[in-house]
Amino acid sequence: MIVHPSPSQASMSDPPMTIPPRPLQTYEGVASWQALRARRWYAVMGLMMLLTCGAVVFCLQFGAHALTMAQLWSALTFSEAGREDVARVILWEIRFPRILMGLFVGASLAITGAALQALVRNPLADPYVLGISSGAALGATIGLALGLGSIVGGLGLPLCAFIGGALSIVLVYGIAASQGRLPMHQLLLAGVIVNAVCSALMMFATSILNPASLYRVVLWLMGTLSAPSILSLIGIGSCLLIAILLLLRESQALNLLAVGEDAARSLGVDSDRVQRTVFLVSAVLTGAVVSVSGMIGFVGMVVPHLVRILCGADHRLLLPVSALGGGILLMVADTVARTVVAPAEIPVGVITSLIGGPFFIYLLMTRKYRFFA
Amino acid sequence: MSQQASASPMCFPLPAFEVRQLSFRYDAVRIRPFGDRSAWVINGMGFTVRQGEIIGVIGPNGSGKSSLLKLLAKLVRPQEGTIRLFGAELGALSRESISRQVAYMPQDLSSDFPFSVLDMVLMGRFSYRRGGLWNLVGWERREDLAVVEEAMAQTDVTHLANRMVDTLSAGERQRVLLARALAQVPRVLMLDEPTAHLDLNHQLDVCRILQRVHEQLQMTVLLVSHDINLASQYCDRILVMKQGAVVCIGSPQEVIHPRVLTEVYGCQVLVDEHPETGLPRVSLPGQDRHQTVAVSVRL
Repeated sequence: MIVHPSPSQASMSDPPMTIPPRPLQTYEGVASWQALRARRWYAVMGLMMLLTCGAVVFCLQFGAHALTMAQLWSALTFSEAGREDVARVILWEIRFPRILMGLFVGASLAITGAALQALVRNPLADPYVLGISSGAALGATIGLALGLGSIVGGLGLPLCAFIGGALSIVLVYGIAASQGRLPMHQLLLAGVIVNAVCSALMMFATSILNPASLYRVVLWLMGTLSAPSILSLIGIGSCLLIAILLLLRESQALNLLAVGEDAARSLGVDSDRVQRTVFLVSAVLTGAVVSVSGMIGFVGMVVPHLVRILCGADHRLLLPVSALGGGILLMVADTVARTVVAPAEIPVGVITSLIGGPFFIYLLMTRKYRFFA
Repeated sequence: MSQQASASPMCFPLPAFEVRQLSFRYDAVRIRPFGDRSAWVINGMGFTVRQGEIIGVIGPNGSGKSSLLKLLAKLVRPQEGTIRLFGAELGALSRESISRQVAYMPQDLSSDFPFSVLDMVLMGRFSYRRGGLWNLVGWERREDLAVVEEAMAQTDVTHLANRMVDTLSAGERQRVLLARALAQVPRVLMLDEPTAHLDLNHQLDVCRILQRVHEQLQMTVLLVSHDINLASQYCDRILVMKQGAVVCIGSPQEVIHPRVLTEVYGCQVLVDEHPETGLPRVSLPGQDRHQTVAVSVRL
């Protein structure tokens, strides 16, 4: 019996002209990984928030004047028993503003550092690479030299510094930008040049200052968080909040830019706009931070690296975790700085470098961190 | 005019790219402020890329092949001339709408940052992201993930998803780049030397994947390559470039001809037929053994 092949059978028996299409996949694998990542984002953020709150409470109990847990509790809960207690004054008027300032400054430095490392694609970038900090320092020095340090209710120095920072933003941008674009190598070069010029001018200014002002300049340059005014707290806090929102909005674009500018542009990133936004946000935040706290080194460069080792390179996670991590690091470092040789203080920048440097080296040597490969 | 433009897709599909009088040079004014501007890299090019074809671009080093791709992806802007992408002026299109239609695959993937393969492929979905207050950081949606899954399966990199990009071999990196390009769901796929630095097996891999996506998705493929034999095997048409201009454009049988290649590359070549497909095959002339000895003695 002869069975005639049906047309479909005939075509199937033909040698395939092309490679057969792959069977359709079920979309379980990637979807579940990604769901895990999104869930991980919330988990990590929640954990970091808890850690931050814990660090605030932890730091509150240390200082030149040791407090018992009972005093701390009564002061924190505003109980009637502790109404006249000196602990309440110490906590709410001295320690809490200072700790909050540590949190804000650390967070600003770390998030700026993380964003700039992606922007200029250089692991050595930190907030001070833009030259804004030197401009602010020069502004502060000139302010002190002219005796403007104590006008406007103690805000004279931060104001002078911020004006200096703002002028150097304009200068750096003016040097680097060409035809509506902001080439990154030119931005780095402009930052280095402005840094050098401002440092030279600052050295000149310090050489003709009287010793009392000189001492204040040196103290300010070393970086300190002591006695922040409520106005500077509000100022830096609002700057930080706006900066976090703007940078988070560009975080996926930063991921793409970190891989390469051409690749990012071909994938749909409006690189000119993103670069301009990130530069301006970072520059303004750096200027504000340096104005209120001076130059605190190390936090902005190393915290992003630490977070990258622990959480990966995705800036959607890296930026907020860096911010909180930097805040925690600086709070704790400042607590150490004002406790170990109380009633005197160590400059907090010394502590950040001494804690962070060896820790970073340990991580580099024990785990495979491929940033420098 | 507009009636014509709207009616034409009914009769003829719009060309993927229509390039007219294109001229481009890198702006070197900032480097050398006095005098000589840089030479034209692309000099009055005009050609059409038809929808659904695989077109190869070949030519000697420095003939402007890579610059041409960058122009077509709007990574650089031409000084003169027009490029139309499916009938629309390229200069007027936003970067996002271009990257939803055109995927540009660079020569190599280099990242100092510790991104995983999945991170990398997900980047292909950037132009489809939806911002908003509740999704400020821009997490991918479910349909993005489905597309990425499919792209990774097509290019066989699913098992690498959690590997760091810088631990991959060259062939794997190339496939990841291809997966990222496919995740863009483009209508045109542009590749810059997709098989450079790859061994034979991986070359075959990449070419097969290319042919598969071309056939399944009716994707237009524009391929820059130094490998004339590869272009001959896989391309419907080949565009030969020299010094930023079109020398000729046509089917492999028309273009791959000793006279053309000698004129373009300036050296003698042999052209015969591929034993399986019968398509033209290029070889360099054999070296005379005695001549080699003579040269080495003279050195």
